[in-house]
Amino acid sequence: MLDLNRAVALALLAFSSGYAYLAFTFHLLPFELFLSVRPNTMPIALAVGGIICSLALLIKPQSSENETEGDGTVNRADGEYLKNLQNYNWIQGIALLVLATLYALNLRSLGFLFCTSTFLILGGILLGERRYTLLIPISLTASFLVWYLVDQVLTIFLRPWPGWFY
Amino acid sequence: MFDGMLLGLETAFTLQNMLFAALGCFIGTIIGMLPGLGPMSVVAIMIPVSLQIGDPSTTLILLAGVYYGAIFGGSTSSILINAPGEAAVVATAFDGYPMAQKGQAGKALTIAAISSFSGGTIGVVLLMFFAPALANFAILFWSAEYFALVLVGLSAISAFAGKGKVLKALMMTLLGLMLATVGESSLFHAPRFTLGIMDLQSGINFVTLAMGLFAVPEAFFLAIDKIRGKKGSSKKSQEISNLRINLKEAKAIMPVIARQSVQGFLIGVMPGTGATIASFLGYAVERNLASPEEREEFGKGSIKGLAAPETANNAASTGSFVPLLTLGIPGSGTTAVLLGAFIALNLQPGPQLMQDRPEVFWSIIMSMYFGNIVLLVLNLPLVPYIARLLSIPRSFLIPFVLFFAMAGAYIGQNNATELLLLLGFGVLAIIFRFADYPLPPLLIGFVLGQMFEDNLGRAMRNANGIQFIWERPMTLTLIISAAIFILVPLIRDWLTNKRK
Repeated sequence: MLDLNRAVALALLAFSSGYAYLAFTFHLLPFELFLSVRPNTMPIALAVGGIICSLALLIKPQSSENETEGDGTVNRADGEYLKNLQNYNWIQGIALLVLATLYALNLRSLGFLFCTSTFLILGGILLGERRYTLLIPISLTASFLVWYLVDQVLTIFLRPWPGWFY
Repeated sequence: MFDGMLLGLETAFTLQNMLFAALGCFIGTIIGMLPGLGPMSVVAIMIPVSLQIGDPSTTLILLAGVYYGAIFGGSTSSILINAPGEAAVVATAFDGYPMAQKGQAGKALTIAAISSFSGGTIGVVLLMFFAPALANFAILFWSAEYFALVLVGLSAISAFAGKGKVLKALMMTLLGLMLATVGESSLFHAPRFTLGIMDLQSGINFVTLAMGLFAVPEAFFLAIDKIRGKKGSSKKSQEISNLRINLKEAKAIMPVIARQSVQGFLIGVMPGTGATIASFLGYAVERNLASPEEREEFGKGSIKGLAAPETANNAASTGSFVPLLTLGIPGSGTTAVLLGAFIALNLQPGPQLMQDRPEVFWSIIMSMYFGNIVLLVLNLPLVPYIARLLSIPRSFLIPFVLFFAMAGAYIGQNNATELLLLLGFGVLAIIFRFADYPLPPLLIGFVLGQMFEDNLGRAMRNANGIQFIWERPMTLTLIISAAIFILVPLIRDWLTNKRK
């Protein structure tokens, strides 16, 4: 079976090949053909390097030892997580990323204050926080403070409310 | 010269100026902690406010305080939540964050503050004595030398190339260089590799990539694993906020600070290189100089690995004032913004400034020195409180880490595409981490990529080929140094593996 290391190497090979295709087919202006350095000179070199490197990663024998960074009891190597899937809370991690995506998609339309405080409250609830009397005021205050600092003090525009509010 | 220094000291050490310096440091530290608002943005934002003061010396003292405060603020978010909001503090996270995870956040912040102070202070001393001579040296550097210098900066990837990760580190660097070619470059004005996406015309935003690569995976791993990082947060708050550095540690970082102050300053003197290359290079040099046992610690919470980039980036920031004050050329983004402040104050930096307006020249230098002192005095007592942020329960900490990362990419752009890109990079980074691919080389490649291509392109155009490599002795020396930095660890690893 294809292990993750090789799957990533294969994806990198595909990426490098796509990049190489775009670099080789890059539309040069007539005068650029006579330049010593063209807009695609370095990209071509990088693409070739990327293909060679990813191929080497793909065919290189995999070492069996798994390096553990730092204190193994606290900061286990990231690859370890995949060996004991049931021991970790994958749903929380993935749900958090989904929540962040929803935040990104709705930030402009729903406004900074509403969207940020909702994200912080839902994020806290998702991670097991049940002290609502603490969570809600902290989230609302933090959202307001950041908005006030950025929009009012630093004068960088951040729409506070949903678009239909205006 | 001493008369000028006394005049500068007299100006800087008035009650009003000391208060403005303290205020500047405080504002800079708080705003600088927000990813995406680096020293350049913070100084630019503060210029209109500071010009209201009226007095040029006080204005510049306030801006110097803001500048140094913002640099320290950036280091703080790198160390505490692995969110380097600015290229110059990326290397700080390499060892600063692992230290914080081990429950040594207070110590890490103290080392960062002391290293920054020392780098900045030694930089100011060098600036006072050698500025005119160094300005002449800096203009000897052409594109060929800059290209070679960037290559030496890229050799920092060797620091992550140990233990069978050589190829992976190299691949990540190439990937970073590829991402740096997206959008328009200053050499070629046509957009490249944008796939028709308008938002990519100006390239990938540094903060978007940095937050995606570091902050998002960190939040994810903290969410799936309740034990991860627990050692750091479960320690008593006294331990987390402990500032104490023992004699052995002080002895270990002293030579690093001395070396990196000089090296960082010299790199900063050259226009266009700045604190980013200085920090990566400082990290790579110190790792190569370390003993084999100490080298193993790099990337896992080495105090030398933290002190080196912190000293170097501050010394380089000071060094970047040399071309500004002596030649009127802004050597970095921040000094370009400061040039705007000088002009708004009716001051013209350049060769005549020291002769015609010595009181201004020296008060600028003294205000920089003063900004450093105030930063240390003001921030060291705050370190225990800042470090205690790590004691916040994970249900609060994780959403806030994600929020700060996303806010950094969104603020100023008002573009949701940046956030989606950030999350996309985050997911990719999680996969890379599962497969044990080192991520710092990707960011190093990305940060230096644009500079690499621009300078290589200009050098090749000037020479009409690559003969500049052997025709220019300084270029050749730097390229050989880069080759040594990359090859020596590789050969050492290869020999170690062969012996096994």
